[in-house]
Amino acid sequence: MDDCAAVIAMLNHTWFGADLSPQTQERLARLGEIQDFETDEVILHEGDDANEMGILLSGRLALRTLVPERGPITILSVEPGDIFGWSAVLADTQAQSTVVATESSQALVIDGAKLRAALKEDHALAASLYPRVLKAVARRLRATRLQLLDLFAR
Amino acid sequence: MIASPALSQAAAARQWFLAREDLGALVEAIRDSGRRIIGPTVREGAIVYDEIHSAADLPAGWRDEQSAGRYRLEHATDQRVFGYTVGPTSWKRFTFPPNLTIASARRANAFGFEQPAPDVPPVAFLGVRACEIAALAIQDRVFLGGQFTDEDFRVRRSAALIVAVQCTTSSSTCFCTSMGTGPEVRGGHDIVLTEIDEGFVIQAGSPDGAAIVAKLPKRPPSHAEAGAAIDHVEAARVQMGEPLPMTGIGERLKLQLDHPRWAQVAERCVECGNCTMACPTCFCTSFIERSDLDGKSSTTERQWDSCFDVAFATVAGGDFRARPRDRYRQWLTHKFSTWWDQFDSSGCVGCGRCITWCPVRIDVREELAAIAPPIAPVIRPVAVEPVAASPGAYSIARLASVRAETEDTTTLTLTDLDPAFLSGRPGQFVMVALPAFPAVPISISRFRANAIDLTIRAVGPTSTALGNLHPGAKVGLRGPLGTFWPMEEAYGRHAVVVAGGVGLSPLHGLVDALAANCDRFESVSLFYGSRTPQDQLFREDLAAWTACKALDVAVTVDRAGPEWKGRVGVVTTLFDMISWDCSKVTAFVVGPERMMQASVQGLISKGVPADRIYVSMERHMECGIGLCGHCQMGGRFVCKDGPVFRLNDLGDTFNREGI
Repeated sequence: MDDCAAVIAMLNHTWFGADLSPQTQERLARLGEIQDFETDEVILHEGDDANEMGILLSGRLALRTLVPERGPITILSVEPGDIFGWSAVLADTQAQSTVVATESSQALVIDGAKLRAALKEDHALAASLYPRVLKAVARRLRATRLQLLDLFAR
Repeated sequence: MIASPALSQAAAARQWFLAREDLGALVEAIRDSGRRIIGPTVREGAIVYDEIHSAADLPAGWRDEQSAGRYRLEHATDQRVFGYTVGPTSWKRFTFPPNLTIASARRANAFGFEQPAPDVPPVAFLGVRACEIAALAIQDRVFLGGQFTDEDFRVRRSAALIVAVQCTTSSSTCFCTSMGTGPEVRGGHDIVLTEIDEGFVIQAGSPDGAAIVAKLPKRPPSHAEAGAAIDHVEAARVQMGEPLPMTGIGERLKLQLDHPRWAQVAERCVECGNCTMACPTCFCTSFIERSDLDGKSSTTERQWDSCFDVAFATVAGGDFRARPRDRYRQWLTHKFSTWWDQFDSSGCVGCGRCITWCPVRIDVREELAAIAPPIAPVIRPVAVEPVAASPGAYSIARLASVRAETEDTTTLTLTDLDPAFLSGRPGQFVMVALPAFPAVPISISRFRANAIDLTIRAVGPTSTALGNLHPGAKVGLRGPLGTFWPMEEAYGRHAVVVAGGVGLSPLHGLVDALAANCDRFESVSLFYGSRTPQDQLFREDLAAWTACKALDVAVTVDRAGPEWKGRVGVVTTLFDMISWDCSKVTAFVVGPERMMQASVQGLISKGVPADRIYVSMERHMECGIGLCGHCQMGGRFVCKDGPVFRLNDLGDTFNREGI
């Protein structure tokens, strides 16, 4: 099995990549590269230019935001199958939070500029990727709304 | 003989005693009736059924040692003729031969097909055991009980006189008592023998049998001899131990067609087909055409075949049962389940041949227990009568220990209790009082041998005072009160417990009960969310539950500092982990009301039926018995009709503001 086939096999185990067409899976696999992260390794810094989007294949990442006088607070963990750095889909945006590996992790990381260029010229890729990114963002929004509600408030 | 209603009359025939040295007279009397005798004889280290010319051919002084994959003959210390159980051959070899020419055809001269008329001289089967009579009766139903019948079988079966022998010993592979076929002979015989120390107690079961018995040098058995015959058969029954729980096995197997054990047993099975060849009821065959070299005439032979054969279910387009697991499942489910649908009986008589003659020691009893274990009866508990039910009348308990759970939550272990509290059910609560403080409702978080735990969050004067107590202090209790978690509703399903914050407290006892009964559920999962890692209750128990193989535990927090390496996100994000068929989920949910609403919504959107979701509601309670009116919720009092409710029963009061 070549590298591309191995990446596709891993994508097939994620909700994000499982139902993509074989062509789109291959395109994604060739656009990105597999990266391994050590525990506590910082992958993206909050406020930095959003240059990369990743699909987490294994491990766990924390999305952290810095709260004055309280330090970094983890607001969400990213579990295998979910994405991080989705801001990279849009040009000239900044990372919304710091992404840190809380355990040894592996992800398919795609360069933002390459991804945007591919989405512009490959309509099939765009048609299948945008709804998934939107779904991921919607999940975040829903979770954030529930967090705002503070479910454990009495 | 083929079983008939005349048996009941024959069964009442008189008993006689036949001395061991006169067994030859029985053989002679049978032969004199014009019958060939087939019976047990020693050949190649086993007791097989073959032609018997005299009593000397019978295996006197032998016993057998059988277990899974093992058969050994040994010299016995006595001269019993039937002191062993069943061997590798069964009587179907003589009523349903392994190879049989069923037709011939020719092209030359007159084109045509011919069926030979069965020509079977009278025969006697000597030494037929109870399970084997049951097997013959099963094949009677297969070959003679339907619209189309097997004429060859009918002739061979009708030609056979059945001289039965009641078993006075059993092998470790025998389980006739489980299948209801032995060890005593209950019919289907012409003569029945029971071997005792001095000889045989003998009884005719039909007119043909009575004619033979009449010719024997016999005498009435003594009281002791007749009693010994009964005792010896009973001893064989006792030797087999408790019968296997076979009730509902057909339906139990039908529910387990996707059980992982099919693949596991197929890993061991070498598909030799020994079990089907040795089985006295298996009846599958294939037809073989044999042609002359010039192609002008041919014969059709019917041969025993086996559903384990790779080609057995093959058609031009492929094999319907391509995998070994499919073939093993076919065999086992046919024997114990679908046989009932087709022939109104089990296909197994409990003779144990398939166990003894399996070269890899697959024991059908173990497989049945693993794949389709008995479904224990569902006993729905009823709530114990509470003590000190009326407000103001308290039962005194002593505080044995105090444990801080979080900054504001404490678990009290109470002992010296009225036994009623120990008989409470997970989900129920008690009213707890201290002098000078208003009583408060607290869920029982854990049932111990002689104590209960109450987990209390300090939110008011009473709960704060309770949290500040020291061991030895006394408290007043009323209860146990309210409804409890209907754990039994989740039997056979995926039990999912969803807890938020202190909501784990009324669920703790349920999680303990689910873990203790885990084999009654498809799976047991606990999803627990809290605001921060510091707000988690029962951390030691969570660690133990996480380590427990019977439970799937997932924990998340709404937010955390960098020291927390676990999941962060609201509890509903854990539902992403559910990979089961959600229509088979029964969920138990407790937490703050907003968390329960979000959880219920999440579960329903995943496909969990609303009538399979149970919630525990919180309302202001003062009396705890439905008399003060504080806890009214729609048409219900939460203290008396709850706190545990089926979601559907709450209707739209569950999600409505201001109720």
